[in-house]
Amino acid sequence: MSKVCSTKFVLSRTLDGSHPAAGAKLSLVRRIVDAHRWLLILSLIVLCFHASGRSLRLAPPDQLFYESRPAMGTSFEIYLYAPDRERASELFEVAFDEIERVEQALSNYRSSSELSRINANAADAPVITDPEVFALLERAFDYSRQSKGAFDVTVGKLMKAWGFFRSAGRYPSDEELAHARAQTGWQSVRLDNRTRSVYFLKRGIEFDLGGIGKGYALDRVAALLREAGVKAALIISGSSSIYAIGAPPGKAGWQVRIFDPLDRTRTLSTVSLKDQSLSTSGSYEKFFRLNGRTYCHIMDPRTGRPVEGMLQTTVITPEATDSDALSTAVFVMGPQQSARVLDKIAGAAAVFVTDRTGGERIVEIHWPKYQAASLLP
Amino acid sequence: MNRRNFVKAVSAGTLGATVGRANGKTGDMQSVPPSDQIRLGIIGAGSRGQELMRYFLRVSGVRFAGLCDVYEPRFAAARKITGEDTPVYRDHHRLLEARDLDAVIVATPLSFHAEHVIASLQSGRHVYGEKSMGFTVEHSEKIVEAVRRSGKHFQVGHQYRYAPWFQQVVQRVGKGEIGNVTHIYGYWHRNGNWRRPVPDPKFERLINWRMYKEYSGGLTAELGSHLIDFANWLFGATPEAVVGSGGIDTYHDGRETNDNVQIIFRYPGGRTFVFSSLTDNAKVGAEVWIYGNDGSVEVTMEDALFFYEPKRAVSPVPEATTERGVPTGATYRTRGEMPYRGPGSPVKSPEGAEGNPNFLACRSFIESLRNNKRPFADELVGRASAVSVSLANKAIEAGRRIMFVDHAKT
Repeated sequence: MSKVCSTKFVLSRTLDGSHPAAGAKLSLVRRIVDAHRWLLILSLIVLCFHASGRSLRLAPPDQLFYESRPAMGTSFEIYLYAPDRERASELFEVAFDEIERVEQALSNYRSSSELSRINANAADAPVITDPEVFALLERAFDYSRQSKGAFDVTVGKLMKAWGFFRSAGRYPSDEELAHARAQTGWQSVRLDNRTRSVYFLKRGIEFDLGGIGKGYALDRVAALLREAGVKAALIISGSSSIYAIGAPPGKAGWQVRIFDPLDRTRTLSTVSLKDQSLSTSGSYEKFFRLNGRTYCHIMDPRTGRPVEGMLQTTVITPEATDSDALSTAVFVMGPQQSARVLDKIAGAAAVFVTDRTGGERIVEIHWPKYQAASLLP
Repeated sequence: MNRRNFVKAVSAGTLGATVGRANGKTGDMQSVPPSDQIRLGIIGAGSRGQELMRYFLRVSGVRFAGLCDVYEPRFAAARKITGEDTPVYRDHHRLLEARDLDAVIVATPLSFHAEHVIASLQSGRHVYGEKSMGFTVEHSEKIVEAVRRSGKHFQVGHQYRYAPWFQQVVQRVGKGEIGNVTHIYGYWHRNGNWRRPVPDPKFERLINWRMYKEYSGGLTAELGSHLIDFANWLFGATPEAVVGSGGIDTYHDGRETNDNVQIIFRYPGGRTFVFSSLTDNAKVGAEVWIYGNDGSVEVTMEDALFFYEPKRAVSPVPEATTERGVPTGATYRTRGEMPYRGPGSPVKSPEGAEGNPNFLACRSFIESLRNNKRPFADELVGRASAVSVSLANKAIEAGRRIMFVDHAKT
């Protein structure tokens, strides 16, 4: 509705602006043309009136608003178009309340979260959870299955063994590593959808939804903002996952730049997102070096060791839950195995930056054609 | 394999290599005998109602048998939460006619609580009723009476009664850990207009009912009632008198309930609870300070910290001290008046007693039904805080001190 009104507003001004200077003679032809112009304006006003059903008042174009708040161990940022500050403020409240709600369910830093309740009790007996949390767990385990274990929400104990839990990382002893590996593994979890229950088949298993929860929060916020009538918004969690609702007025999409991990002043690729999400995982976020080798914080759950040879992966999918999970999964799997997984997901694309040189440095899978052709050699 | 097929394939316990340890302790719904299955209905499936639904669905053997709301878009949202095509009703009478219903959650706007709670009780159902329990003193009294007549259980949505750290604080303060407690200060400060987006102006009052006096007790009811209940609990008493102030000073958007309130409750024995709610500054957030002559406790929605007053030396001195004369002069003691900014001593919940107050409250309600046990946050708890809310708002509106004895039985 506001689109019709604002279009009319622009058209009216253009037509008014084409009036001849004051004092010009109005010929008969001119009068006819003007009559047509007024008819056009009138019809557009009627169209607007009809569309709104309320008033003849011209709706001003929406403005862009921004707000950022800390959540889920990072900061969430939202850009959205709204008619005024009050409306924007209401929308931000809805969005950040939802992020808080999701965090309260999924955080493994809060002892009062649903995830903490599951972690604390699921080795003793099956823990029933609500359909929302259960569905997200099923989705996470779907990715474990599809990726043959490259994506695994039980990987937390390995992260701790390698010193990446709230610190910079260290090389674990063989004993520590064996102990951590014994306490990880998606196949040691039983999800029963008849009862919506979660059961750990061995002690020590813990869920960490850090690889999927932020994406899920973005999808929830997107759904609520759409319900509230938002036509254009960009929702970001800690810059690593992004969801785009619609596009800014007059644009094809929201421009998102992907940096080159070797030189973050350089743009590797610029993509235009519209009703899509994009997530990036990088080895440069947290790592340590030992004897000439680099150990990053992204674990390969299959080997129990940090992934080597990969610098950055970026994934585009229709939903942020998927892109969030997949950016980690493809980082672990590498391009070849990832291609088989991505092929099965409509609208999925990825770009890999490896530590190799030459033609193999950057690998694309279904990477969109519409982006600026700026992939570096 | 797409996600849907995958989920089908792995459901029913095929993910793990074997079925889990048979320790006889299982929470799954199949193991709950039919007589222990609790079928819930909800009247008012808005944002709070939906949140309660999620918590109840985490309790074993609970299922929703009916959803009632006057705003149809909520049916789809609520069914998404139950994960099934739960029957929906626009009229609560029709919901209450359903046979397969053991208990009802009432999460409607405050002014409807009494009608919906009493109708549910009269239909023979137990009730979990959102706070504040009753809109007026009369409504609260009627609910208490209806609970008594029905013989059913009623639990009010004062979930912090079930928070382990709140319970620890009440227990430790009760044992005298911070001395004699004379004052409690409760804050619920936010920075936002408290409005919800409305898809069409005709739904303004339905969605933003908290803004209108016809339905709502404003900040005092929606936020204050929790902290008033805490003060009642900690003092083991209900207020004797209340004065208050407030206004619509920041958001001139047609709302009728105050966007800031400051209320002082006087309790027996010269004890006081001060409540403040702002909507344009969130520095302090939601927290309660309990002040005793030996220490203080800061209680938040997630944790609690104890602080202890510096020990004061009270020891005899030789009388000769005064013979020398006591020096005099102007003093300005700044350091001694500075707030203590060091760390506090965190309250630790007993092992296994941690948890989310909402979940613990919902689970406790279900256990009350299964074990026929009176809920901790019962209708008397509900009445005490609801009456305090009603009279506080009356005091603000009248601009004078209200004595409880003139209005309430409590």
